[in-house]
Amino acid sequence: MCASVKYNIRGPALIPRMKTKHRIYYITLFSIVLLGLIATGMFQFWPHSIESSNDWNVEKRSVRDVPVVRLPADSPIPERGDLSCRMHTCFDVYRCGFNPKNKIKVYIYALKKYVDDFGVPVSNTISREYNELLTAISDSDYYTDDINRACLFVPSIDVLNQNTLRIKETAQALAQLSRWDRGTNHLLFNMLPGGPPDYNTALDVPRDRALLAGGGFSTWTYRQGYDVSIPVYSPLSAEVDLPEKGPGPRRYFLLSSQVGLHPEYREDVEALQVKHGESVLVLDKCTNLSEGVLSVRKRCHKHQVFDYPQVLQEATFCVVLRGARLGQAVLSDVLQAGCVPVVIADSYILPFSEVLDWKRASVVVPEEKMSDVYSILQSIPQRQIEEMQRQVRGQPRRENWSASIKAIALATLQIINDRIYPYAAISYEEWNDPPAVKWGSVSNPLFLPLIPPQSQGFTAIVLTYDRVESLFRVITEVSKVPSLSKLLVVWNNQNKNPPEDSLWPKIRVPLKVVRTAENKLSNRFFPYDEIETEAVLAIDDDIIMLTSDELQFGYEVWREFPDRLVGYPGRLHLWDHEMNKWKYESEWTNEVSMVLTGAAFYHKYFNYLYTYKMPGDIKNWVDAHMNCEDIAMNFLVANVTGKAVIKVTPRKKFKCPECTAIDGLSLDQTHMVERSECINKFASVFGTMPLKVVEHRADPVLYKDDFPEKLKSFPNIGSL
Amino acid sequence: MQSWRRKSLWLALSASWLLLVLLGGFSLLRLALPPRPSPRAPQGWPRWLDADLLQSFSQPGELPEDAAQPPRVPHGGSCNWGSCFDTSKCRGDGLKVFVYPAAGPISETHRKILASIEGSRFHTFSPAGACLLLLLSLDAQTGECSSMPLQWNRGRNHLVLRLHPAPCPRTFQLGQAMVAEASPTVDSFRAGFDVALPFLPEAHPLRGGAPGQLRQHSPQPRIALLALEEERGGWRTAGTNSSACSWDGRCEQDPGPGQTQRWEMLPNATFCLISGHRPQAASRFLQALQAGCIPVLLSPRWELPFSEVIDWTKAAIVADERLLLQVLAALQEMSPAKVLALRQQTQFLWDAYFSSVEKVIHTTLEVIQDRIFGTSAHPSLLWNSLPGALLALSTFSTSPQDFPFYYLQQGSRPEGRFSALIWVGASDQPPLKLIQAVAGSQHCAQILVLWSNERPLPSRWTETAVPLTVIDGRRKVSDRFFPYSTIRTDAILSLDAHSSLSTSEVDFAFVVWQSFPERMVGFLTSSHFWDEAHGGWGYTAERTNEFSMVLTMAAFYHRYYHTLFTHSLPKALRTLADEAPTCVDVLMNFLVAAVTKLPPIKVPYGKQRQEAAPLVPGGPEPGPKLQAPDPNCINQIAAAFGHMPLRSSHLRLDPVLFKDPVSVQRKKYRSLEKP
Repeated sequence: MCASVKYNIRGPALIPRMKTKHRIYYITLFSIVLLGLIATGMFQFWPHSIESSNDWNVEKRSVRDVPVVRLPADSPIPERGDLSCRMHTCFDVYRCGFNPKNKIKVYIYALKKYVDDFGVPVSNTISREYNELLTAISDSDYYTDDINRACLFVPSIDVLNQNTLRIKETAQALAQLSRWDRGTNHLLFNMLPGGPPDYNTALDVPRDRALLAGGGFSTWTYRQGYDVSIPVYSPLSAEVDLPEKGPGPRRYFLLSSQVGLHPEYREDVEALQVKHGESVLVLDKCTNLSEGVLSVRKRCHKHQVFDYPQVLQEATFCVVLRGARLGQAVLSDVLQAGCVPVVIADSYILPFSEVLDWKRASVVVPEEKMSDVYSILQSIPQRQIEEMQRQVRGQPRRENWSASIKAIALATLQIINDRIYPYAAISYEEWNDPPAVKWGSVSNPLFLPLIPPQSQGFTAIVLTYDRVESLFRVITEVSKVPSLSKLLVVWNNQNKNPPEDSLWPKIRVPLKVVRTAENKLSNRFFPYDEIETEAVLAIDDDIIMLTSDELQFGYEVWREFPDRLVGYPGRLHLWDHEMNKWKYESEWTNEVSMVLTGAAFYHKYFNYLYTYKMPGDIKNWVDAHMNCEDIAMNFLVANVTGKAVIKVTPRKKFKCPECTAIDGLSLDQTHMVERSECINKFASVFGTMPLKVVEHRADPVLYKDDFPEKLKSFPNIGSL
Repeated sequence: MQSWRRKSLWLALSASWLLLVLLGGFSLLRLALPPRPSPRAPQGWPRWLDADLLQSFSQPGELPEDAAQPPRVPHGGSCNWGSCFDTSKCRGDGLKVFVYPAAGPISETHRKILASIEGSRFHTFSPAGACLLLLLSLDAQTGECSSMPLQWNRGRNHLVLRLHPAPCPRTFQLGQAMVAEASPTVDSFRAGFDVALPFLPEAHPLRGGAPGQLRQHSPQPRIALLALEEERGGWRTAGTNSSACSWDGRCEQDPGPGQTQRWEMLPNATFCLISGHRPQAASRFLQALQAGCIPVLLSPRWELPFSEVIDWTKAAIVADERLLLQVLAALQEMSPAKVLALRQQTQFLWDAYFSSVEKVIHTTLEVIQDRIFGTSAHPSLLWNSLPGALLALSTFSTSPQDFPFYYLQQGSRPEGRFSALIWVGASDQPPLKLIQAVAGSQHCAQILVLWSNERPLPSRWTETAVPLTVIDGRRKVSDRFFPYSTIRTDAILSLDAHSSLSTSEVDFAFVVWQSFPERMVGFLTSSHFWDEAHGGWGYTAERTNEFSMVLTMAAFYHRYYHTLFTHSLPKALRTLADEAPTCVDVLMNFLVAAVTKLPPIKVPYGKQRQEAAPLVPGGPEPGPKLQAPDPNCINQIAAAFGHMPLRSSHLRLDPVLFKDPVSVQRKKYRSLEKP
């Protein structure tokens, strides 16, 4: 390249003819190379702009550049909304059949600008909020860009505010959507319905069968189970970041912050202020604000000026009165500020009332009763008020929707989704319980108080490796228990076959042997199909000291406490203050928090939980360490039921007569250390200490009473 | 020179070419190849360049001050609670209900409904004082239609109870009246105003009612997955492979004799598929509920009973009939935990609200009362978890923590203190020794003496560590279960003046009660039995191997039971207790057992002397006196309850080291073992 420059400088005269030819050749060549290099460089530096040229077109566009669609004046208009629509009549559920994850798929139409015959736009192309809403849907799991797989269609025609659109033409625009089909499975979002003078409570745009997510429904326009009631979004509270405020009394008891109230209502609220003085504050528009102050952010009482919406945080209750429309944006401001709304708007359908329990977070007062508002609120106990305050801001699912368009969009889709896949729906508690309650609460899986019939009996499960002789004795002993209905031997030895059928003891109940694939402790807690009773007796193959009365009594106790572990020797966990950790205790204490599963009754369901729902790696850990499966079971049951174990009878340990005292002390100590480690490990995995300590055990009613032994039901209850 | 230059030139050129080929070639290659078939990122909603410049949907000025409008008058035909019901009439005594007397002959169901309204605490005989006027629209069988009643007033504050869908051509306009109807169609139902009732069969019992059929929590391993309705009204069960069945429940191919089983009334399956229209579907719905068979409703066109308060998603599945195959697949894959929860909830709901006419009617009135109460209505938790809103009175509290039933759900626990309530009957001496023993307990917060004695109050009581309050009783035995506002603790230790307890017995019993706050924990017991000879119930205080009642002369229980005893029991029963004081124990035990469905708890009691002699609670007679229990009493109470709620227990809860042969020094409650 340098060379060519040199030639150029020297001038053409010095270069012979031949060279000139060469020169042109060279220059052309070099230019090509140069161009090629530049082009290559451009490819390299903007790789995405080339690769995804489609994106480039879509992403970097202006709203002003969207395609224009001309609507002829005589294009079809959909029918008015059908008030009798329900999911099973107006919704085409077959479109939602494809989805494997119980999730509906939502398609969004491309944005277009609609104009009439004269080129006059039908409405604002799109508002900031609607753009945000569609973005939220597009970013969610619900979104699909495949119109053929979609179950729900969201038009990009913005109908959030009825005042900004021309009704007939908007309806025509809806009707020409490619999959409109009488509006089936189409979802429209509207927050400000109706218009002067009569302000309908639902969007006036004819929309046929389309679903409406509307803010401001009344009982007359809301199609229960079909439409979704949404809040009226307030852009104001989204701008202002209000600090979280704890529950408790506030400066004002009742606050009315709305401007433009109907004179009749204003009279009523002002009468309240006159009557109750300081504790009621009624605000209105400011009339004497200096220039440049944003009037929407100020409210006045006489000459006092307050910042809005900050002032809402100063009140316990805030009035949300009906205006021309039922749905008021002030509700969002009030909720955002953590003030308990007092909704005075007859027939108003509160936002998401299909799933949200507004009784817990608001007070609804009939318009007729407006003059009594103060006394109605006064009659609410302080504790309930505080619960409401917590609820107003604490609703987890609501995710502060009063300040987020995204949350409004997702909650709406979730509600529709749950109607279509009801078996996977979100529960009342998930929608409504504040997180604090969720963490602390326990929902016992066996909550129904039932005393199972004695006739059902129990299944004894004996885990064994190769102690055949001892096993046979256990089988013989257990088979004497009247309520035994089946015996299951879990043969945990893969290297050895169980004894011949003829060698097993002959007992009166069916005996089944299950061979396992691996020698694991968790095999004892597997929910075998062979277990047909609810009650399970887990018993080791060396527990022969339990008397028949003792076992039968244990079963009777289990029937009265079918949701608990019912066992014989009890154990305790203690907090070791020196070591700062949990310690396992097998001394003779006055308290019990665990029972050994060497012999214990429990519900079969806990086998399912142990095998499939054990938190963390506990199950594998137990199998690897070949220890502590009983402690794990105690943790599991206590954690899921919130209840303590029941220790029955005085028995303190399982002494096996055969076992000679295997160099007792040292073994005992390592054993204790290991068990303590288990407790600490499990407590950290569970994230809490679920075990409950109690001071009682269960004995037969007449145990050790001065009463003829032969008249007692369980005379032979055994020793320690 | 020239050649050198040329050489270097060529070199540079070829190097450049090489570079071009290397760099450009790749790019060209990438361009030339069609877009990779790898998963294409879905094209989302575009990010507009000028998104920030977009205008808000509502202009700041417009939003808060849309044009004002005067208050609206209710529309003619359509009503809602706020506009068509006048709650001001209910302010004094809450909900008072007047029932129009029947004009002609009435049907059996009709009679039961009348009886259960008249037996409820809401009933009043004066139409003027009532805030709800109830009109029973007559059954089709009698052929008569009701004429417009006198106090009709355009139907304001009226509830029209319709058992069968519109049997009469409307002789008058409903006006502003609410309609309580069995399984109304969704189109005519006005949510929050009308009440959806369950379908009431003619044979539905007035009181009590058959309990749920579920005898075990989890489904049996070999139980059929699905039960399908049969055309003749029975059920047929099918195995897990039900995909061969068409949506209307009839199977295209008979799966063979081994797999199906017919059930006359109650299906034995995990799920019951219910389609079709009311009232058949509604009656099957109740059957399934009772049987603990999870109802799977296929696109019901009728409103589920009491849907205003009952969260049916916890007990039933409402699915779209058009997605039947998906629904069946979902049922098969449903987790055992969910099946367990749904099954148990069916039983709870059946037992709490549907098993008798009385429960249905009382639930209806309770729903309306909740609307009147507004903020002090039952929270959803009270309606949808045990023991149900009829037994958890919202007049006691609206906070679940105050009840003995919801500690686990709320993650809370009962207070660590109790109040001792000592009843001093007509002939008792001031129980100074007992007061000392009870006050010695570290858990005792206060002692209340309920003085029902002829003699004047003693001027001096013993010095105690805890506050002692004397309440002047009115000498009625039922007074001992009155919810005195002076009782400030969750736990009450109910005592008679002549009871004798040691401090350590009290301590241990209280610690046990904390584990079972919804039950009664007592020292002395009696048990009920069926007396074949007399064809009725009897009970005995003799020592037996089981028991079903604890005597309230020494028992711990939650203070909520005082409210329940005073406000929910029919007045007749309380009068019965006043007239026959031995009955009060039975009555209280019935009440607690009806709520908990569990037996009480017995703890050890040292005084053999008293155990030897069956005890009577402090009646008017002097001293503990042997008195045969009155079988009349238990039978009258059982009749009023409509069933026998008592459950028997075989166990006693003792301290862990009770009477064990170990050193007494180890034992916490050692004085319990003294003979």
